[in-house]
Amino acid sequence: MTEATRTLTGPLGPAPVRTLALCLVSTAATGAGLLLPAALGHTLDLLLTRAPATRWVLYCAGIVLLLALLDACETVLHGTLDARTTAWLRRRLTRHVLAVGPRAAARFGPGDLVARLVGNAAQAGTAPTGRAALLAALAGPVGGIVALALIDPWLAAVLLAGAPVLALLLRALARDTRDCVARYQKAQGRIAQALSEAVRGHRTIEAAGAADRETARILRPLPELSEAGHRMWRVQGRAAGRSVAVAPLLQLGVVAVAGVLLARHRLTVGEVLAASRYAVLATGVGVLVGQLAGLARARAATERLHEVLAEPAPGYGERGLPPGPGRLELRGVTARRGGRAVLDGVDLVVPGGTTLAVVGRSGAGKSLLAAVAGRLAEPDAGEVRLDGVPLRDLTHDALRRAVGHAFERPALLGGTVEEEIGLALSSPSPARVREASRTAHADDFVRRLPQGYATPVSAAPRSGGESQRLGLARAFAHGGRLLILDDALSSLDTVTEARITAALVNGGRHDGTRLLIAHRATTAARADAVAWLDGGRVRAVGRHEELWGIPEYRAVFAGEERA
Amino acid sequence: MTEGVHRRGLRFLRDRWRVVLRLGGWSVLETGQTFLTGFALARGLDAGFLAGRIGTGLAWLGVAGLAVLVAAYGTVRVYDAVAALAEPLRDRLVTRVVSRGVREGDAGSLSGLTQQVEIARDTFAGLVMVSRSFVFTAVGAVVGLASLHPLLLLVVGPPLAAGLGLFTVTLRPLARRQEAFLAADEALADRLGAVCPGLRDITAAGAEERVAAGTRTCVDAEQRAADALARWGVLRVVSLALGGRLPIVLLLACAPWLLDHGVTAGALVGALAYVTQSLLPALHNLVHGLGTSGSRLVVVLQRLMREATCGAEAETVARTEAEAETGAGGWAGAKPQREAGAEGRAEDEREPSNPPALSLTSVTFAYGPCATPVIDDLDLTLPPGAHLAVVGPSGIGKSTLAALVAGMVEPRSGTVRLRGHPVPGPEAAALRVLIPQEAYVFTGTLAENLGLLRQTPVPEAELLGAAEAVGLLPLLEALGGPTATIDPAALSAGERQLIALTRAYLSRAPLALLDEATCHLDARAEQRAERAFADRPGGTLVVVAHRIGSARRADRVLVMDGPHTAYGTHDELLRRSPTYRDLVGGWTPAPSQPALALRDPDRVDAVAGTGLAGDGGHVVAHGPVGQVQAPRDLRHRGSLGGEG
Repeated sequence: MTEATRTLTGPLGPAPVRTLALCLVSTAATGAGLLLPAALGHTLDLLLTRAPATRWVLYCAGIVLLLALLDACETVLHGTLDARTTAWLRRRLTRHVLAVGPRAAARFGPGDLVARLVGNAAQAGTAPTGRAALLAALAGPVGGIVALALIDPWLAAVLLAGAPVLALLLRALARDTRDCVARYQKAQGRIAQALSEAVRGHRTIEAAGAADRETARILRPLPELSEAGHRMWRVQGRAAGRSVAVAPLLQLGVVAVAGVLLARHRLTVGEVLAASRYAVLATGVGVLVGQLAGLARARAATERLHEVLAEPAPGYGERGLPPGPGRLELRGVTARRGGRAVLDGVDLVVPGGTTLAVVGRSGAGKSLLAAVAGRLAEPDAGEVRLDGVPLRDLTHDALRRAVGHAFERPALLGGTVEEEIGLALSSPSPARVREASRTAHADDFVRRLPQGYATPVSAAPRSGGESQRLGLARAFAHGGRLLILDDALSSLDTVTEARITAALVNGGRHDGTRLLIAHRATTAARADAVAWLDGGRVRAVGRHEELWGIPEYRAVFAGEERA
Repeated sequence: MTEGVHRRGLRFLRDRWRVVLRLGGWSVLETGQTFLTGFALARGLDAGFLAGRIGTGLAWLGVAGLAVLVAAYGTVRVYDAVAALAEPLRDRLVTRVVSRGVREGDAGSLSGLTQQVEIARDTFAGLVMVSRSFVFTAVGAVVGLASLHPLLLLVVGPPLAAGLGLFTVTLRPLARRQEAFLAADEALADRLGAVCPGLRDITAAGAEERVAAGTRTCVDAEQRAADALARWGVLRVVSLALGGRLPIVLLLACAPWLLDHGVTAGALVGALAYVTQSLLPALHNLVHGLGTSGSRLVVVLQRLMREATCGAEAETVARTEAEAETGAGGWAGAKPQREAGAEGRAEDEREPSNPPALSLTSVTFAYGPCATPVIDDLDLTLPPGAHLAVVGPSGIGKSTLAALVAGMVEPRSGTVRLRGHPVPGPEAAALRVLIPQEAYVFTGTLAENLGLLRQTPVPEAELLGAAEAVGLLPLLEALGGPTATIDPAALSAGERQLIALTRAYLSRAPLALLDEATCHLDARAEQRAERAFADRPGGTLVVVAHRIGSARRADRVLVMDGPHTAYGTHDELLRRSPTYRDLVGGWTPAPSQPALALRDPDRVDAVAGTGLAGDGGHVVAHGPVGQVQAPRDLRHRGSLGGEG
């Protein structure tokens, strides 16, 4: 994807007009804020000398009103711009992640992907507003100092002399906290660890009536957590104590100098008032620092989004599929994972309409073979053809319509049972969903759900076997000339499994080609042929009972006799 | 709900009135600083700089500087007091989350612990800081204005009150927008949390476009909520303008009148300083802090409380069940099975003095009032010392039966008794131990883990004896003895099961319920563990079987299969129960003897007419093995599909 490598957004973000408007508004607000003290001071002087001041009072009122208006505009612009940028980023990333597919989850881990799409996108979304407000944040302190210098250079000198102290003390805040934060997180981690163990073992705990004892045991590090927490507050308090004193002291310093100048009649009362205000504005460097830190965070987050976008999405071809029985060919397929060839020059042909079982020890490359056969993963070398057409030449729709998948652990997306089963290019009819559900032996338990097929899967307690049956129903409803079951029967009891396999192999329900990744000898025995994978290569292809004579083949199923 | 959170919040603070008082006490120092911000400036000008007395002026500013330092010290102590409120709140929430997690086995409690509790802690502390700061600053400014000249208060007071009033009125609608935003944000996170782990399935289904569209809806909804929040934020700006900015204009407009009524130049400057340097920033923080953090805190607390209190019983039970069953959790039916317990009951009548180890009488159980029962009118009686295996297709209700016997769920009708004691009940609870499939092993010493079900530490000799009986001894030695600390993640599932089994063996409960508790052990280890339980003197054993071997070893078998539920010995059931034959058949083609199983003439296949679609089924491999051609008519090969 060429657009992936390009910059995510320009410096102005996806809504440049708004960003510019925000920059203008916030800078104008800062400008008005800088104007106000001078106007106030001058008005005050006029008032104190009993000179006519109505015009100046009106000026001040105008500036105050303008400030409020600009503030309102800034609030709306800031909020909506953040929302717009974040939403834009999320839409863009979601699209890309979906286009990349399983590779994205494999590369980053699903949890991390979610964190990037939710948290990082929100952080990165503040980049345009951060940049827009930067000018204003810079203009405040600089303008304050300039204004002080204009009133009297001594005032600016006092402030600038005190500024290094301010900077030093602000830095102390960042240094101190890290250690106790680490301790806090460690104690928290211990509690979380023990809790996650107990959550997994809660049935034992419940049966033993040991909930109270276990709760107490898990909470044992709580005092430590509490102590670390108190320490964090203390450190923060000390840092805050230092930093809150600095700015007011600097202001008082400026006012003191201004007072002396006033006594010597070099300044007016109004100018003293203005000076004290400008001193406040000049010490607003903290705002600037915070703004810069926010921008740095936003940039780091954008970087993490870039990483996701840099992951290339597979391209699709232009060709459709000719009519055919679903003949699957793998030619010299090699696929590497982490430098190791998990599939190493695999050649296989599955004639249309037949069932091939793929067996092998764990780590033999069975799942990757299933993924490559349905183009859920790309081979590093070699080619996969369906009815003579290389998979990569097929259009997205032609490919996905032709190949159906079921997995050991189907992912359910949080819709209703009907939606989950009907997950496909275009949703299948309710009748087809129910028919598929019956074939997968899922209809029974679905109909016992509170709202049947309309029950949200999140509200339906499910076990591995039930999830698996929903996944199978999804594959059956999807149809297509090639059906790939990647260990999709493993959590079923043997009786149900036998019934489903028989229905499949019989061809009654599905007249295409079937590729079954199998662990059980019974499944392998029902297939037309078995491909025995070993170390990424096809060790042998033949009928189950033919291969059974080889002791090493039998060893593949050792330990698989459980129900 | 909100009321509940508010009321609890008030109670929480009332219980800690000393801390609140301390917080107030140290905050008064801040009031002092605020007071002097304007007052010292006014005095310094009037009595000092304007009067030509530079020393006096500087002295007043020095006093203000001192107040700044004192207030800074106060800030340090204020943090301590805030800690004394926020940390107990966090402790309390952590306790709540942990106890809920342990009780309900809810994995969501983990994010509650690491995220929501922390959000609650931080926002709560922030709220305390901001609202306290506003109150004490406002008091300082008001007192200062009054002491400079009461008329100043008359000018500044009304707009300040109006601004605060407007803010209070808009607090609720603003909080609603904030809540709506949080809800939309969460819905989006949930959606992405489902999509990201499901990428493989989405790609496989070719549903990228549909899922993208669905996700876009969530993104758009979140954006709309954020936009609404931003627009409503204008109300805050208005409150701020009214309360903090209008007084500046009013002070100027009224200046001639004020000066006429004895307000000095210094007092006027002081009043302006109060408004711009104290009230405006404090109001700004309050308006922005309370609006966002307040509703955030309420939302998070509501979530933490709701999950803790509303233990919707059925939901919990259902979840427990789904997790408990390997194959399937839910709604499998069982038809009346009156004759099931006949044999057991006869034994019971023979020995009336000796109550049965377990008796179920007309037990019916369903997950909901409208749901089809999972167990329907089941009778079953086991004498002490019996060894029962429960078999059946997954999802049929085997684990539910175990849960009923353990008293973890209650039947809709009928009774369960252990040695005559009603289940659930404390006496009955002491008589049984349940070992579920998912073994509970925690980070701690092996002895702690093994002694979980005992009130006092187990003597080492007994520990080693149990380990020997169950088959844990080699692992125990490999781990470094009973005092070794174990890391559950470093153990295999089978090793964890061995630990759980040994723990149950040590519990001394006469009835052991093994609910697929040996599924990760190999057949030999499983046999050894089951034998250990069966051989306990007077010990009764109920095994929800994972392998058919468990049923062979048992002296009686319960086949659960809805209308075809049957009860008897292995041999009887082979004759009587087709389901049992199916199960045995399915289990049997253990790789050791496939040919025998495949050719078993007695075998009745569950699937009628399993003829393989075999015209010309051939597979060609181009691999290292060369070409293996297997074109043949499968129908004539026979036996595979059970046609003999």
